[in-house]
Amino acid sequence: MSQPVDLPAMITNRVKEPLEFLGGVALLAKDTFKELRTRPFYGSLLVDQIYLVGVKSLPLVLITALSTGMVMALQYGLGLEKFGGKPYVPRLVASTILREMGPVFTSLMLAARVGAGMASEIGSMVVTQQIDAMRALGTSPIKKIVIPRVLACLIVLPLLVSIANLVGNFGGLVVGATELNLDAQFYFRRVLETSNLKDYIAGFGKTFFFALFIALPSCYFGLNVKNGTKEVGIATTKAVVTASLLILVGDFFLAKLFWVIEKWL
Amino acid sequence: MALIEVVNFKKSYGSKIIHEDVSFYVKKGECLGLVGGSGAGKSVILRSLIGLEKPDSGKILINDIDIVPLNEQELTPIRKQVAYAFQGGALFDSMTVFENLAYPLRAHTDLGESAIAEKIHHQLAEFGLEKSIHLYPGELSGGMQKRIGLARAVIMQPEIILYDEPTAGLDPYNTKKIQDLILRLKAKGVTSILVTHDIPTAMAVCDKFAFLKDKVIAEQGTIDQLKVRDNSLIQKFIEGNIL
Repeated sequence: MSQPVDLPAMITNRVKEPLEFLGGVALLAKDTFKELRTRPFYGSLLVDQIYLVGVKSLPLVLITALSTGMVMALQYGLGLEKFGGKPYVPRLVASTILREMGPVFTSLMLAARVGAGMASEIGSMVVTQQIDAMRALGTSPIKKIVIPRVLACLIVLPLLVSIANLVGNFGGLVVGATELNLDAQFYFRRVLETSNLKDYIAGFGKTFFFALFIALPSCYFGLNVKNGTKEVGIATTKAVVTASLLILVGDFFLAKLFWVIEKWL
Repeated sequence: MALIEVVNFKKSYGSKIIHEDVSFYVKKGECLGLVGGSGAGKSVILRSLIGLEKPDSGKILINDIDIVPLNEQELTPIRKQVAYAFQGGALFDSMTVFENLAYPLRAHTDLGESAIAEKIHHQLAEFGLEKSIHLYPGELSGGMQKRIGLARAVIMQPEIILYDEPTAGLDPYNTKKIQDLILRLKAKGVTSILVTHDIPTAMAVCDKFAFLKDKVIAEQGTIDQLKVRDNSLIQKFIEGNIL
């Protein structure tokens, strides 16, 4: 005989989990920024994380940016050709990359690679009692584990997005010149003439929020692994899904925010 | 005078009650054996003694300071006095043995790198582990990991050491090594609590026992007291007659 469904309990659990997550991440963020202001600072750990988050992610970011730029130029070119709008391709590609595709795709790639790595590494440390050992030895896991990862993401993501913007536009230029029969010099000039600082800032400004969307949930899910190695996998999945959703949903609100800021400027 | 005192300790996880009313004390220089069946909550008490867990109510006095209301930062001075030897060693797997031992020294002392190196060499020599200094935890056997975990725990010369199953899963050779280390530290006047199922080791190193059963300390006393006590629960537990 099937068990009766306990609807109120089901609803409570569905609501409780996201609320616990929001509260937990808020507390983690508070502790992180509080401990950021106190000594000691672990510079070498930050350098390690910058290497792991930044340098190691570079090939992935380059490939993503190049292919995104190329596909966009191709699709815009084919679509606008019917209306004689091919000369607008450089402007459209550049603007879309600078404002949306560069920051969002780079952040999504980083969420997948770095977010998963952070959650699984920290989760494994919890399971093997290394986090407990840090606390028992009178040191703070926030300082040793969370702060270097959050700072590394805040430093590296804007740089990676800047590189992705360049590479994405280069991909657009290559397709413009080879597939759309646009002159390479014309394409390059059009990108420079039509792109402005506002486009760049609208995309670049988001990266600081996206860095927090990646690092904080990943550390949170890693630190909250409780029941052995099985939960490390679950935490890793949750970290990637949550970071990706925060980036995609947050992008809308941040786009609106920067739109309002642009109007003021 | 009691160096460690646990008073009316209560702990539960959700609706599951682990401890209802646990009280005991350990005097300076003593070693208490905390025994009980699997799942009795021995490690929960041990973890609470260093602030890794908080009881629902009750007091935990270390040197007359109640550590229950203290936050992580306030616990730091306590954690310099109280060392915790984890069951699996809990070594940082991204660091070598040297770096693992240097970790607390770099965090809490002003020693220079040469003084730290000298202290670590001395400590490893005392534990018979000099050859493993540049190895990573993954390259060590389980017994060596436990011994290095212990070496790391005591490198700050703590007043109190909490041992969580230090001999679990070890062969007789490594068990004897750990037993000797505990006895050497005890001879130096270190106060300790030993959580274990390894009764021969407990009998060799402990001055008194506390037996956890049915969420409370069901019996406690010195070895001499237990030997002459009729129907001693600890005796029955040791003989395998009760859980």
